[in-house]
Amino acid sequence: MTQLISNAGPLWTQATRSPFLAAAASGSLPPDAFHRWLAQDYLFATGLTSFQGLVLAKVPRDCHQPLISGLTALDSELAWFESHAARLSLDLAAAPHPACRRYIDFLMRSAYTQPFPVLLAILYGVEASYLEAWSALAAQGPYQEFIERWSSPAFRDYVASLHLLASRYPHAAAQDQFHAVLEHERDFWQMSWEG
Amino acid sequence: MLAERLWQANRDLAEDCLQHPFVQDLSSGSLDPARFGAYVAQDAFFLRAFSQAYALALARSPSPDDFLDLLRGVVNELHLHALYSAELDVDLNHVTPLPACRAYTDFLLHAAWHRDLPEILAAMTPCMRLYAWLGASLAPGRGLRYQRWIDTYASPDFHALAARLEALLSRHACDTASVRDHYRYAMHCELDFFGACP
Repeated sequence: MTQLISNAGPLWTQATRSPFLAAAASGSLPPDAFHRWLAQDYLFATGLTSFQGLVLAKVPRDCHQPLISGLTALDSELAWFESHAARLSLDLAAAPHPACRRYIDFLMRSAYTQPFPVLLAILYGVEASYLEAWSALAAQGPYQEFIERWSSPAFRDYVASLHLLASRYPHAAAQDQFHAVLEHERDFWQMSWEG
Repeated sequence: MLAERLWQANRDLAEDCLQHPFVQDLSSGSLDPARFGAYVAQDAFFLRAFSQAYALALARSPSPDDFLDLLRGVVNELHLHALYSAELDVDLNHVTPLPACRAYTDFLLHAAWHRDLPEILAAMTPCMRLYAWLGASLAPGRGLRYQRWIDTYASPDFHALAARLEALLSRHACDTASVRDHYRYAMHCELDFFGACP
């Protein structure tokens, strides 16, 4: 457990455990909740791509490799979402739910107003919490492909490389903004489950 | 005019703001001063972001003069908040934004830093037009507890600023889905803001 995570206390658990995830693991997830999550997470991933592009433009050279490979992975992820949506005949052009919009607005406002070390902590928070959320689930059932995607060794390595960068460039404001990420994650899961 | 069309298309949310218990209690004077103080503190946090958004709009504008009076208007509003804060014993310099306030300022600053002039103006206009309308609707000059607040937004000066911002919106923006979305989401943020102060 990293310092940023241990300092977050119960907020870390709130951001990474959800009835939505438990239902996905047990195969009892209602289809409308899955569809809502898929459309909103797709919107979020497009917002995260914009955020990460801005972060890339601000960081020093030794941060480039993880951020650029992360952007490539995000592009594949968006294509993957699009293929799932096409298979399920789902419209990905859904309006953003306020919880999704608030999360993206937070990232984009931060990208322009926070120093790059804080942005590294924010990006680490986004991805580390996602890894924790999915990798706690047994990779089985109808959502096995989703569980495997975000608990894979490749994703774990990516999160570790982001942690390395956040540790190399500490900042007094990093912990507070790490907490803000976790609050948005918590609210996003709640929205995915409850609508 | 685009600004008028957008306002009319969002009158439902303006009515919801006017009928909001917080606004009604403010109008009648029955609002708890502690709640008013909490609101003034949140509003001061919001207005700082609003002034930054004006500055970023100015930076994108072909005629920066258009934004100078508007920027001064917010600064004057902040001075008024400082007067309230002295009376209400509220510290405006160390405000922790409540979730609804944070959501609104994140939205506003996302637009102001990242979007173009049409979206920035669409995100900013609802605040000015709504408050001018609330000021006029809440019957100024009745001498109730929060009369000075109402009179500020009912004043010809404030209405002139709102009209100026609306003219800029109509001049620079087209009726696109993105402009409509920014305007309506800002109105939603306004409504949520009134519900934010415990």
